[in-house]
Amino acid sequence: MKISLSWLKKYLPSLEATPDQLEEVFPLMGLEVESVETTGIPQLDNVVVGEILTRDQHPDADRLSVCQVSVGGAEPVQIVCGAQNHKVGDRVPVALVGAVLPGDFKIKPSKLRGVPSAGMMCSPSELNLPGEPKGLLILEDKPEIGTPINSVFAEGDIVFDLEVTPNRGDSLSHIGVARDLAAWYDLQLVLPELTCDPETAAQPTAESLLKEVRIDAAACPYYTAWSIQGVKLGPSPDWMQADLQALGLRPINNVVDITNWVMLECGQPLHAFDSAKIQEQTLLIRQATKGEKLTTLDEKERTLSEDMMVIADKNRSLVVAGVMGSLDAEVDDNTQDIVLESAYFNPGSIRKTSRSLILSTDSSYRFVRDVDPAGVVFAARRAIDLILEIAGGKLVGPGVIVGGAPRADRVISVTPNFIQKKCGFAISEEQVQATFERLGFTVDTSAEAWQVTVPSFRSEVDRPIDLVEEFLRIYGTANIPKTDVSLRAIHRRNDGLANFNTKASEYLCGQHFNECYHYSLRDEDTFTKWYSKALTQGLALANPLTSEQSHLRPSLIPGLLDALKLNNSRGNGLSPFFELGRTFTVHSGKLYECASVAFVLPAEAEQLPWQSGSGNDFYKVKGLVQQLVNLAGLKADRLFFESCKDAPAWEESHAGTVGSIAREQFTAQVGLVSLQMTKDWDIPGPVFAGEISFLPRVFERAAKASKFSAFSLYPPVTKDLALLVSESSLAETVRKDLAKVAREHVGKSFNVEAVSAFDVYQGKGLPEGKKSLAFRIHFRSNEKTLTDNEVGTVFDNIQQVIKEKTDYAIR
Amino acid sequence: MEEKLQAILEAASKEAVELNARPDFEAFKARLVGPHGSLTDCVKSVGKLPKEERPLAGKAVNQIKKALEALFTETLQRIETAEMQALLGPAVDPSLPSAHFPAGTRHPLSQVRDAISEIFRKIGFTIAEGSELESEWYCFDALNTPDDHPARDEQDTLFLPEGLVMGNVDKKADERYVMRTHTSPVQIRTLLKEEPPLRIVAPGRAFRRDTVDATHSANFHQIEGLYVEKDCNVTDLKAVLDYFLQELFGSEVQTRLRPSFFPFTEPSFELDMKLPNLGKLSDQWIEVMGCGMVDPEVFKSVGYDPEAWSGYAFGMGIERLAMLLYGVDDIRYFYQNDLRFLRQFTS
Repeated sequence: MKISLSWLKKYLPSLEATPDQLEEVFPLMGLEVESVETTGIPQLDNVVVGEILTRDQHPDADRLSVCQVSVGGAEPVQIVCGAQNHKVGDRVPVALVGAVLPGDFKIKPSKLRGVPSAGMMCSPSELNLPGEPKGLLILEDKPEIGTPINSVFAEGDIVFDLEVTPNRGDSLSHIGVARDLAAWYDLQLVLPELTCDPETAAQPTAESLLKEVRIDAAACPYYTAWSIQGVKLGPSPDWMQADLQALGLRPINNVVDITNWVMLECGQPLHAFDSAKIQEQTLLIRQATKGEKLTTLDEKERTLSEDMMVIADKNRSLVVAGVMGSLDAEVDDNTQDIVLESAYFNPGSIRKTSRSLILSTDSSYRFVRDVDPAGVVFAARRAIDLILEIAGGKLVGPGVIVGGAPRADRVISVTPNFIQKKCGFAISEEQVQATFERLGFTVDTSAEAWQVTVPSFRSEVDRPIDLVEEFLRIYGTANIPKTDVSLRAIHRRNDGLANFNTKASEYLCGQHFNECYHYSLRDEDTFTKWYSKALTQGLALANPLTSEQSHLRPSLIPGLLDALKLNNSRGNGLSPFFELGRTFTVHSGKLYECASVAFVLPAEAEQLPWQSGSGNDFYKVKGLVQQLVNLAGLKADRLFFESCKDAPAWEESHAGTVGSIAREQFTAQVGLVSLQMTKDWDIPGPVFAGEISFLPRVFERAAKASKFSAFSLYPPVTKDLALLVSESSLAETVRKDLAKVAREHVGKSFNVEAVSAFDVYQGKGLPEGKKSLAFRIHFRSNEKTLTDNEVGTVFDNIQQVIKEKTDYAIR
Repeated sequence: MEEKLQAILEAASKEAVELNARPDFEAFKARLVGPHGSLTDCVKSVGKLPKEERPLAGKAVNQIKKALEALFTETLQRIETAEMQALLGPAVDPSLPSAHFPAGTRHPLSQVRDAISEIFRKIGFTIAEGSELESEWYCFDALNTPDDHPARDEQDTLFLPEGLVMGNVDKKADERYVMRTHTSPVQIRTLLKEEPPLRIVAPGRAFRRDTVDATHSANFHQIEGLYVEKDCNVTDLKAVLDYFLQELFGSEVQTRLRPSFFPFTEPSFELDMKLPNLGKLSDQWIEVMGCGMVDPEVFKSVGYDPEAWSGYAFGMGIERLAMLLYGVDDIRYFYQNDLRFLRQFTS
């Protein structure tokens, strides 16, 4: 919202603060300054009127002239000038040595192509005036030579663009801002004097331009209409046009300009109807009918709905209440009689209408922030004064007032101790009382709990805590003392997920992965192609802004492939990447938010010819996934990875999966990213990847404290056994079967400590469709050194059972 | 006898020099001192000599035995040294680079987030996590932002379809799910789940329905702070935030609390800071976070007695702080993941 300093001073004649000081002070009052604009000529020292006495060509520069300029002193000054529009005898503004022009441009004695120059003749833009930027400003009125330039031009103005928070509807006007400054500086606020004092009535009388005013809408508690007969339409006075233009409003005609000007003065939006266009002389405040059409002043046809409020005559709606009028009831050059509306509309209703029409106006902006009901009649009277003065005409009939102010002054009961307690520092009761009084509040201190009366213009101040804010705002937040932090200890741990994220990222960085951040939202196509259509459908947003960001991500891997692609295309090579973030999945018709970790590892490891070392393969990335599961506090050594099937993002037969959202509360996939997918991303060469998606509640489990368990000090005995199994059998299935048999046969005298695969063979010497899996069984006793005999017997039995009771052949 | 022994030793000494592998050495040793070795035979033959000759012969045998043992030790050492040498590859050039350096880097936003969390952890705040999908009640209503409030603008909020059922984010009634527009719903979840006094920071991702440009991102990150205690006041809030900014930006930082508005705090402030060494932004007030005292309405919505409990809350944008700390001038860098960007922030 724009505020003009000269306008502001009408209500604060004693304001002495400079624009710079105000720029510092406004934010501390809660009014953020977005920009400060200077209009007109600022105060400029050493810039005077000069007359060009001679104009000669510069000896060494075609485009420069050398001028002798009289500036009122005994001797003329010599100025080298680049402009072309001046001639001898012209009077122009001359910036003498020592002047500082707008933009901190200091004028110093100089030489231009060898010719000395002691000043500068100025163009309009160099003085911050509108006009041709290149040529000199020729002063046609020939003011006296040597006159300071500020005496020639009217005083400039400063326009502050303030950002007003939604709770400060009271400061959306010059009077509002002046009132706050008056509180801040403890100054007297001078309000405009009202001349007219019309009678009011609940309904029009015979003289009125209206027959009936009726409210038929709950969101309009208070409506006033004033009849003015015989106005003379025309342009508004220059001063008013200048005021409006300075604040970014377009002058239209005297009546409309007055309504706008009064709105900027008081904060109360007004509307003027051409009474000839009000059919059957009836104003009806009602809800729009469904599908009702109206062409607003911006010449757009609007289709209204039942939740919007309109001002209508008997036959049609004329105004979208509080938002914008229609062309149908517009005041135009032929208008003679007008009806002036000043009303209070409920903020919520105007907000909804403005939102659904996507139409925010100076009027709706103010109604949404709750105008002062007490200002409704004041603003109407102020506008009537100006209309009668500027456009002529006379007031006829009473001011019609329907309904009443929805809120008035409020009394808040508060103890000074409460204010002090919330502030946390010592303040005297007198200080508190004085601060409130500066704000225009009245304070009754006769009881322990003070009764503070807050005027109706402060719509959001109605609780004791609100008074604390008001006190601090005006007392000055800069006066809050600096203290040291002093806090008592609290027993609480970090949420487990935060700790996991730290551990996982430290681990992956240690493994040379670089952390990435990608957007959580992505386009539908990626997910439909590489995940499933059903899943993608469940992840759609209701109101996406763009089609590139229409769906929640089910996986971090597409993003990580983006990182590979981008870095490869920018010549950064292929490096391993990882990301930690939320992903989303649908399970049994419900949407789940998961905490995920994923990584990508190009199959061609970054290797140097002089460096040996094994390349990347499935088992390396499987190990990474297991370790990440471990870091989540889950047992990873028992995880049974199965082949990844029906997962287009993964290369079948080269990827594994484990877990489920329902049972384990996490799922993991690991292996080779589908070659087609990497090709689609223009990534050269295969890429390994892994991803684990946890339900965040996994991390809510308290970490189990580590406990020591004693171990055997006797040596183990190991036995190896190779089994011939179907080539599709998973090693873990076979291992588990063997381990079960082994445990059953070892009895109680000693233990099977571990059964682990140590070799896989397929090919020559084996039957078609079979492979050989070799396992090592570790036997150990807690009590003694085992003999070959004891173990041999058990091992024989194990082999016997495997032979007889399983499909596995011993090789 | 003596000649025979001398011959054995001489032959052995000659042979030993030729030995280069351990199996050959073991065979050689066996030929001399094994069960049927030539020296073993000599030892045995000593017993067959006449009694008077035995001491002399025995002494000679022992001498040779000692000499052979020395020979064995020496040979074995020579072989072992050769074996160890064979384990080494060619000599290294220590000036060649290693592919194992450097380690990966954490994303600058993670680093800044952790730096902020750590500063607060030092004064007893712990980390709380929340979900990115939230219901309208947790995201707005419980935070004193009813449906018709100007601070709640639908244009800025990404909604999920009506009727959506979530498996692991509960809601209050039949309100809709949204992508959270701020991390403040973590305040509500924590207040409902845990017992006061409370002191948490909640880092996380938030979403606005915004067009992406140099300063706006479709998603961004915040850290929310919440402190709930008995008799907590504005001076306490200022002390904690001043401490925080001094830790993050150094002791030269100046701060000011500027009155502002948030529906869930009263009084509300923006915290501005000023620094002498911030490039183009030096010596001017820069907004760094919103903060204020928890509004009594928020306490009421989670069933706390606002007469008994008080508190403050604050929230800051991690991207913004990262941009200030590192001098990054375009928010989009954070989401492009160019390695030349990521590797500039190795801590």
